[in-house]
Amino acid sequence: MKDRYYLGVDVGSVSSKAVIMNRNKEIVKTSVVQLGTGTSGPKQALDKLFSDTGLSLEDISVTVGTGYGRNSLAYADKQISEISCHAKGINYEFKNVRTVLDIGGQDVKAISIDGLGRVLNFYMNDKCAAGTGRFLEVMARILGVNVDELENLDEHAKNPVTVSSTCTVFAESEVISLLSQETKIEDIVRGVHNSIVNRALALLYKTNVEEDFTLTGGVAQNKGVIRALERALNKKIYVAERPQLIGAIGAAIFAYEAKEERGKK
Amino acid sequence: MEINNIIDYLVKAAESPEKAIKESCKKNNKEAIGCVAPYAPEEIVYAANCIPVGIWGGRVEITKARTYLPAFACSIMQSIMEYEIRGTYDFLKAVLIPAVCDTLKCFGQKWKGKSKAIPFVFPQNRRSKSSELFLENEYMYIKKELEEILDIKITEEALQDSIILYNDYRAAMREFVEIASNHTDVITPVIRHKIIKASYFIDKKDYLGYIKELNEKLRLLPVNNSDKKRIVVTGIMLEPDGILDYFENYGLDVVGDDLAHESRQFRTDAPFSKSALNSLSKRWVNHDACSLAFDPYKERIQYLVDLTNHYKADGVVIALMKFCDPEEYDVPLIMDRMKKENIPLQVIEIDQQANSFEQINTRLQSFAENMQ
Amino acid sequence: MSIINENMTSMEMLNILVDKNMEDARKAKERGELVCWSSSIAPCEFTETMGIHTIYPENYAAVIAAKKLAPEFLEHAERKGYANDICGYARINLGYMDLQKNLANSEFPLPDLVLLCNNICETLLKWYENIAYELNIPLLIVDVPFNHGNEVTEENIKYVESQLHDIIHQLEVICNKPFDMDKFQEVMKIASENANAWYEATSLCSAEPSPLSGFDMFNYMALIVCMRGKKECGITFKKLKEELEEKIAKGESGLKGAEEKHRIMWDGIACWPYLSHTYKVLKNKGANMTGSTYPSAWALKYTPGNLYEMAKAYTSMGNNLSLKGQTDLRKGIIEETKCNGVVMHLNRSCKMCDFLQYEIGKELEESMNIPITTFDGDQADPRNYSKAQYETRIEALVEMMEQRAE
Repeated sequence: MKDRYYLGVDVGSVSSKAVIMNRNKEIVKTSVVQLGTGTSGPKQALDKLFSDTGLSLEDISVTVGTGYGRNSLAYADKQISEISCHAKGINYEFKNVRTVLDIGGQDVKAISIDGLGRVLNFYMNDKCAAGTGRFLEVMARILGVNVDELENLDEHAKNPVTVSSTCTVFAESEVISLLSQETKIEDIVRGVHNSIVNRALALLYKTNVEEDFTLTGGVAQNKGVIRALERALNKKIYVAERPQLIGAIGAAIFAYEAKEERGKK
Repeated sequence: MEINNIIDYLVKAAESPEKAIKESCKKNNKEAIGCVAPYAPEEIVYAANCIPVGIWGGRVEITKARTYLPAFACSIMQSIMEYEIRGTYDFLKAVLIPAVCDTLKCFGQKWKGKSKAIPFVFPQNRRSKSSELFLENEYMYIKKELEEILDIKITEEALQDSIILYNDYRAAMREFVEIASNHTDVITPVIRHKIIKASYFIDKKDYLGYIKELNEKLRLLPVNNSDKKRIVVTGIMLEPDGILDYFENYGLDVVGDDLAHESRQFRTDAPFSKSALNSLSKRWVNHDACSLAFDPYKERIQYLVDLTNHYKADGVVIALMKFCDPEEYDVPLIMDRMKKENIPLQVIEIDQQANSFEQINTRLQSFAENMQ
Repeated sequence: MSIINENMTSMEMLNILVDKNMEDARKAKERGELVCWSSSIAPCEFTETMGIHTIYPENYAAVIAAKKLAPEFLEHAERKGYANDICGYARINLGYMDLQKNLANSEFPLPDLVLLCNNICETLLKWYENIAYELNIPLLIVDVPFNHGNEVTEENIKYVESQLHDIIHQLEVICNKPFDMDKFQEVMKIASENANAWYEATSLCSAEPSPLSGFDMFNYMALIVCMRGKKECGITFKKLKEELEEKIAKGESGLKGAEEKHRIMWDGIACWPYLSHTYKVLKNKGANMTGSTYPSAWALKYTPGNLYEMAKAYTSMGNNLSLKGQTDLRKGIIEETKCNGVVMHLNRSCKMCDFLQYEIGKELEESMNIPITTFDGDQADPRNYSKAQYETRIEALVEMMEQRAE
């Protein structure tokens, strides 16, 4: 019998992710390309998947697109919001998680989910960069370091300073001010991480705030942010091994459910 | 008491509000009742044998408040909400919350602290005779709430005594700001602010004692003929300290103010009336030239001009509370008028959460330089 | 009466009447008659009685915003020094007023007096203070104190009622003629009938499918705002009611060609610069806006002639109620109009609408098990909206509604 495959594609503002799932609901292959909506990113992500697996679009039974660029995927059978996809994806990775905090390039979301990965309620940031991945980029630039160096610097913080969590531009001038006062970079970095977490928590506390908690999104790869969140919540934070792929995994599951579980209803 | 000791005492009280309040409560064997900015019938609280405590926010990082208030709520309410969620105000037996603007209306409906919230509303059509009666009823309701919470009876006599004390205090404060304008070497912008701020954390009777003595002693000092620039400040409040430091850095003396936090508190007395609540009600009806009290002739603008002339001030600074609607509407009109009168004007934004003040620094510096 | 007739559709009547209302005000201004600017839920019964042509800045600002002409006025106001976080309607209107001040013919004539009632918000106090001051004209106010407790108090009603009496006297002074009590009685009767007609027509949204899209209702709203004291207003709404009843009989959905799969309540003001987009995104998902606070906002019910009841009606208006009052109001709307989701407009321009939104939403969600989404928008300022954001949030809401339906 021919195998059936399902494709989930998550096209975000800064990256494109794709996941192929088989009919046993197992992940066959994943790909991430650091190019987002409006670029060749989505195509590259697919090409990588297909060349690695030897599959092609013809082998895919159902495709679900998600993320900001979801409407530009001509081959997608369905578009589902990244909120639902994140919920589904996290549920796949951690059955026990009930609150999802997703800090992406431009967005922060807090989602309450149930045991089946369904969305109970969700809250997102108002249209502002503070507390998102963009914030980290801006801060890293001013500090003269790479974004991926931040988590190591954070570890050495001894006297963390406070950095505004309300406004990126404001925080920028604060950090410049701190640098001119010769504050240690590690201490500023810790402050920046705390700032992101503060912003995210404000959203998180609007949800049902039920354990267990997880952090997803590009920023989840930053251990400094994870540590800051654990300090603030005083609870264990589950972090997926592949936090960037959660949305695409969820999309793939929705694709899978569209065919495989239709008869079960 | 020596001037420096009085000033020291009051400044310390302003810098450590909770400590000062608790000390004052202990000394006088009273409870404390919170009064959220801007205005409250403190006399009623005082007559209930409690210390009215001013709640005007402060320098605190906004973390929890953001869950309940969007980023564009005014800075002072953000701080207050942050503090209330953290439990800072929980030792207060109750909190009075006036609904003078849309933000405060909502705010009074969602007090997150543990104290009992008593929202109330001021009538705005104060030229209507019936506004007095309406406010009397509001005050009656506040009185009843306090009586229930504290399990006491607030007598008419206690209220009348309270009004007398408060009128005395207000008169002494008006005197203070007048005298202080001639002694800006001793009463610098920072000190002036803290002396007035301390009134929110000390039993008014005790506080009055200090101010009276301070006034007497100040009068004996030679008038200060400095070459600093004399500034009148207007707005909700002028904080944090960092900003006041810049005033001092650039040789700007605060000689008079039209701040809700400061002079607007004691500009208007409670007139005599056979009923205390009616007297208090009349006090609000007579409160004019304020952005928070309906001002159809925009008397605030003329008042500012008069104030500037009275103190022979060199310029005016608008301390614009970030995201404060009532103040924001007045700014363009004040700007126009000051231009016509040739009075130098500078607008600075007040953000209680600010840690650095580079923009304000620049503005004040160029303001001072241009006022030659 | 003669400009509309029974053979027209309600939409045709609406368009004719709205245009004529402005035209009448312009002509009146030219003739030297009095023009009044009034807030949207103020007691126009009084100015109507005195024959003063009353027009509504909020409505005009909404029209400007919907036509995407707001930026010019917003920028002008901001250059004058008005902060960009104050009400978009106010900025547009104050900008417009400043630009028109020294011009002869304005599309929206400048006023000779202003009338304000702060039941909808306190921002009006400052906005109208400025208009009266800049133009040096009389200001009539009916101050309606906020009902911070769960009941509307007697004292509140009495204070408002007393001011209604004051208004009569003030108008007599301004117009230099006595207040015609008979005409007043007539106008109150018409206003009451119109309020009823408005409510009866718009509450047909409860039908399944709803024959009226909430967004269409936003358009009809212009009439109840601008002509509440005029007979033609009621005639139009009665016609609308007939048309809707016909649609209900045929099972026709107000979504025009789309199947009504979901019914949502819209919390807040319309997003005028993007009305079309906000509507289309919902329609594409088969979601109809069947619930909103607008039908009840103008359903000011009182016995004509009874100023106490009139005062009570004006002070009991939705925005003027406590948190519990506002929440209960929405619970009622959701039940009556059978909604299964709520869209909350976090309106950058309106602090009144926003600062209890979280608590209201949470209570609705928990007590009615209904999914909620919020989005950032603005009633008038086009800079405060992101199409992508709105689309994502509505999609997520629809997904939640679908999942609950399973």
